[in-house]
Amino acid sequence: FDLSRSYGSAPCIPTRTVHVSSLKIRKTNVVSVMSPAGCPHVNGFKVDNWKQNLRVIYQCFVWSGSAETRKRKAKSCICHMCGAHLNRLHSCLSCVFFGCFTKKHIHEHAKNKRHNLAIDLLYGGIYCFVCQDYIYDKDMEQIAKEEQRKAWKLQGRFFPLFNPSVGPSGVGEKYSTWEPTKRELELLRHNPKRRKITTNCTIGLRGLINLGNTCFMNCIVQALTHTPLLRDFFLSDRHKCEMQSNSCLVCEMSQLFQEFYSGHRSPHIPFRLLHLVWTHARHLAGYEQQDAHEFLIAALDVLHRHCKGDDNGKKANNPNNCNCIIDQIFTGGLQSDVTCQVCHGVSTTIDPFWDISLDLPGSSTPFWPLSPGGDGSTLNGESHLSGATTLTDCLRRFTRPEHLGSSAKIKCSGCHSYQESTKQLTMKKLPIVACFHLKRFEHSAKLRRKIPTYVSFPLELDMTPFMASSKESRMNGQYQQSVDVFNNDNKYSLFAVVNHQGTLESGHYTTFIRQHKDQWFKCDDAVITKASIKDVLDSEGYLLFYHKQFLEYE
Amino acid sequence: MKMEDMSLSGLDNTKLEALAQDIYSDLVEDACLGLCFEVHRAVKQGYFFLDDTDQESMKDFEIVDQPGVDIFGQVYNQWKNKECVCPNCNRSIAASRFAPHLEKCLGMGRNSSRIANRRIASSNNMNNKSESDQEDNDDVNDNDWSYGSEKKAKKRKSDKVFLHSLKQHIPLNPNSPRRSKSVKHKNGELSNSVNADPYKYNYNTGINYETLGPDELRSLLTTQCGVISEHTKKMCTRSQRCPQHTDEQRRAVRVFLLGPSASSLPDADTMVESDCYDASDGQVLMSRLQWDGSSDISPSDSASSKASTNNSDSKKPKKKKKMSLGLNSTGGGGGGSGSGGGSSSQSSLVGQSNRKKKPKLPVPPAPSIYDNLN
Repeated sequence: FDLSRSYGSAPCIPTRTVHVSSLKIRKTNVVSVMSPAGCPHVNGFKVDNWKQNLRVIYQCFVWSGSAETRKRKAKSCICHMCGAHLNRLHSCLSCVFFGCFTKKHIHEHAKNKRHNLAIDLLYGGIYCFVCQDYIYDKDMEQIAKEEQRKAWKLQGRFFPLFNPSVGPSGVGEKYSTWEPTKRELELLRHNPKRRKITTNCTIGLRGLINLGNTCFMNCIVQALTHTPLLRDFFLSDRHKCEMQSNSCLVCEMSQLFQEFYSGHRSPHIPFRLLHLVWTHARHLAGYEQQDAHEFLIAALDVLHRHCKGDDNGKKANNPNNCNCIIDQIFTGGLQSDVTCQVCHGVSTTIDPFWDISLDLPGSSTPFWPLSPGGDGSTLNGESHLSGATTLTDCLRRFTRPEHLGSSAKIKCSGCHSYQESTKQLTMKKLPIVACFHLKRFEHSAKLRRKIPTYVSFPLELDMTPFMASSKESRMNGQYQQSVDVFNNDNKYSLFAVVNHQGTLESGHYTTFIRQHKDQWFKCDDAVITKASIKDVLDSEGYLLFYHKQFLEYE
Repeated sequence: MKMEDMSLSGLDNTKLEALAQDIYSDLVEDACLGLCFEVHRAVKQGYFFLDDTDQESMKDFEIVDQPGVDIFGQVYNQWKNKECVCPNCNRSIAASRFAPHLEKCLGMGRNSSRIANRRIASSNNMNNKSESDQEDNDDVNDNDWSYGSEKKAKKRKSDKVFLHSLKQHIPLNPNSPRRSKSVKHKNGELSNSVNADPYKYNYNTGINYETLGPDELRSLLTTQCGVISEHTKKMCTRSQRCPQHTDEQRRAVRVFLLGPSASSLPDADTMVESDCYDASDGQVLMSRLQWDGSSDISPSDSASSKASTNNSDSKKPKKKKKMSLGLNSTGGGGGGSGSGGGSSSQSSLVGQSNRKKKPKLPVPPAPSIYDNLN
């Protein structure tokens, strides 16, 4: 089959239509072998200085980089036959002719002049009149993309990036979806079975074998593997390991995600994970039953250190230097203000945190009363007057001004002497994932017990009242905090709940996790079952994981 | 009239409305066209239908919501026979017993030193007693070296090599539990096999220094206490800071085994104390306004947990306790060799002393044969 003969340079469209259309099917097969979605008719165009010519066309008539080019385009780009501005205006690639598509004026021109190619002035697509279809030629598309990028830059169009491994940056590329190569397409066509994640799909869920009282580890693994940002980071293979030895916990974490998304139904055995955590966090190993919260902090710490590829990790503790995924997701800033009662000077410290530990009523330290002036107001749809303690109550207590007492005087730099003071904690910077730890295990001098007080926690949480900025406005006289409905910065959604059943000496941890927006599942070591939202919200709650609802670019 | 010559000021509201409507519908149409192009391109390039999944796969991964089964449709509690390979000792261990195995295998935890002590105590008095073995049915490694948690994984490898070289001295007994593949040991069975293997107790109690060459000794003494028991003539296998023996004893044994120029122990003061993560020393109040990253506190030391007055210390990471072994190069203490003869070899040990070490909490000494020595 001689291509050169059939696709000559002078097609007469009406008579050839039949001929061409009857060949279209076979031609498509041939074409897809030659170049995907391209066509051979571009070869007539690709001569001499065609690249530059094409660039000029894109710059002047398609992508307007500046106000002048935009004006020029608006003025000059009209159909040479009917004067229309719109109607899918096209420009001939071989000469200066604009014709609208809708009224077929460009078609006429193509037929008369035997100029086979035209470009759509709105989106830059190339139309081939012989193929009677838009074609996608690799070289021409490359030029189009470059010109588009240039024009956008000129326009001042910035595409903010939220790149988990690099951090937010100002100017980036417009996000383009993955496109398979020819080879990949072939492979995919030969292998039509797909593991697609839909809303009613088990992929992403997997049980974990209990290795001997290791439910404290399993429950944290479930929470972490269902942290959306962390999942996305690992599934897009963002971890580049710089550690010399084989004992990188981040790599193991990555492997864990692979296991969870493998489609395997049998529970995973996380023995390697346990080994790695115990070799890197020695203080954890050896207790018969351990605390899930402690495990979480240790695991985050080891992950954070290993993200830097640095086994020794001293410098990795500096939050300013570290931009690892753990810090980006979990690290918040807690502001501590100590106010001298005499001179009212304030000394401020900001410390990084991964979790907020909250005291509960029923512990040996008094819980009520809360901060002055806040009684009676409803926050997050809950009122503390109803009786049950809410998470918000705990947070309000956490951020209340606390008088430190005469036995705990601090040296005031203003007064140059020891004075009584009040201390107050507020959130300076909220992490993307906020973990609240309800302090249910009391280990005071005489008492060792579990506090089973029910604390109700919401599905959606607004952290605005607990922010340092809110405190400032309260101090400036705006006492009653008006809820700004348009400020989405501090809104959080619950996505994981770790529960402890049993006593202080012996108990069992389970986790509720959220998948596919509104489906909840209960993870009890090797057994994963469906759960209702009511099950989740009625549970006792020990560790509560909230995820920011709206991610902002900086 | 040309477009640019038209003026908007002369138009009334209805005309303006109509214009606005025109512009709006043009924009919508353009947007639709853009979508059409996207789809068209995807189809033509061949990737539009790529993520279509087949019916069979859909069924495979459908969530099951029935009583008695999990979301995969599996019955609960069928996972009893899972096994895994220990990354430390490479033995196959039942998954549900992996954690206690690993705890001993790595020599960690409060049980390990107690078991080791017991073994040392019982070995001489009761040759036939295998009580200690019955405690760890599925593990033999802790019979051997008490690694102590201060050894890095790297170091452990060389100890393992050393272990292999020692093995050559011991005839392999087919009845020894070390050789048995199965994890289950009945109490009765063990005692028989242990009796038959006299060398096994060498492992339990310490090393016979007479079987070792000078290089092996030197290497051994860099990581272990090494004090030779008067009763058993074996070297102590505990760590260099083992509470059973004093540093002077340790120095003495090194001089005895390696000659007068033997390196001394590293000074306790030069040991770098560091935890797996930096523990801050309580809340330090500084007048910093911004979180400029100068905080030395790690988020793992959550300020929030310190903020509360609830005393919940025991669940938080323990701070390091400096062990006072009476080894002070500055003080007079016992013997003048602290500051004198040690100086030259101090430098050679600097590398070692800078290793991260976590001192073991002092073990309450079990009544043992070593009491007399102290």
